[in-house]
Amino acid sequence: MLALAKLILIGGVILTVLYIALSIWSRRTRRGKLEAEWLVSGRPGDEDEFVDAGLKEYDGSVRRKLILGVYVVPIAVIATIVYLTNFK
Amino acid sequence: MVYLKWVFWGVFWAVILGFLHYTLPQHDIARITDTYEKRVDFGENSIFWANSNSGNAAAPTNRDVFFIQAFRTNGKPMIYRNEDTGWGWPPYFKFDTSNLQAEASDLMSKRSASAAQWVSITHYGWRNEFLSIFPNAISVKPVSGPDVTIIPWFNIILLTVLAALFWGIWARWRKFRTRREKRKVDEYTEGWG
Repeated sequence: MLALAKLILIGGVILTVLYIALSIWSRRTRRGKLEAEWLVSGRPGDEDEFVDAGLKEYDGSVRRKLILGVYVVPIAVIATIVYLTNFK
Repeated sequence: MVYLKWVFWGVFWAVILGFLHYTLPQHDIARITDTYEKRVDFGENSIFWANSNSGNAAAPTNRDVFFIQAFRTNGKPMIYRNEDTGWGWPPYFKFDTSNLQAEASDLMSKRSASAAQWVSITHYGWRNEFLSIFPNAISVKPVSGPDVTIIPWFNIILLTVLAALFWGIWARWRKFRTRREKRKVDEYTEGWG
C-alpha cells in the first residue's frame, strides 16, 4: 500500500500544480478576451465592470469545469490499464 | 567543440530511445517450454527488477521470482521474468503475476509436440546475459501460428502523441527564443534610424 500512497501523493502534487497553472492561464486568457471584446463592442460602460461580469459568467461555465479533466483523465487511464493488464 | 556537441546529442538521444525501448511493450511470438520459480539475490542489477511491494514486504534483498522459459520463432531461447509492477514504474499496473504464471504453464509446448502451441508474449525490458536481467512478461495470448503479425497499435499511438507533444513544446520554445532575441536587437538598435 506504500507504493499506492506514493503514486497518489506524487501524482496528486503534479496534477495539482498542472491544475492551478491551467486555471490561472485560462482565467487570464478569458480576461484578455473580455478586454478586447469591450474595446470592439464600443466601450459599453465601465471596463472593469464589464470584465468582472464576464469573469463571473466564466466562473460558472462548463469550460472552467473542463479543467477538472486534469484529474479525471489520468485516473480513467490508470483504471483502464489496471483492467486491461489484470482482468482481460 | 563540435564533437562535444555531437557527443552530447548522441548521449541524449541514446538515453531517450533506450528508455522508450526498455519501457514500452513489445510482442514476442514464442513457444513456452517451462515455467519455474527461482530465488534471486539482487545485486548491482537491482534496478532492472521490479520494486513493487504490491501487498508484500517492502524492498527485500532477495525473493522468489517467477520465470517463463520460451523459444522464439528464430529458435533462440528467451527467458522472461514474471513480476508485479504494482503501482510503481513502469506503469503497467500489473498485479496478476500468479495468474499469468498459471496461464503460461497451461500453454507449454515442447519441440517434440505434434502440434506446437505458439503464443504472443507481451513484455517490456531487456534480456542481458552479463547483467542477468530479464524482460518482464505482461501477458500471454495463444496465437494460431509462428507467422502471425501483431501491429503495435499502442506504441504507434503513444509515440505519435509523444512526438506531437514534444514538437509543440519545442516550437513554442523556439518562438519564445527568437522573439526575445529580436526584442534585444530592437533594444540595442533603438534610434539607429
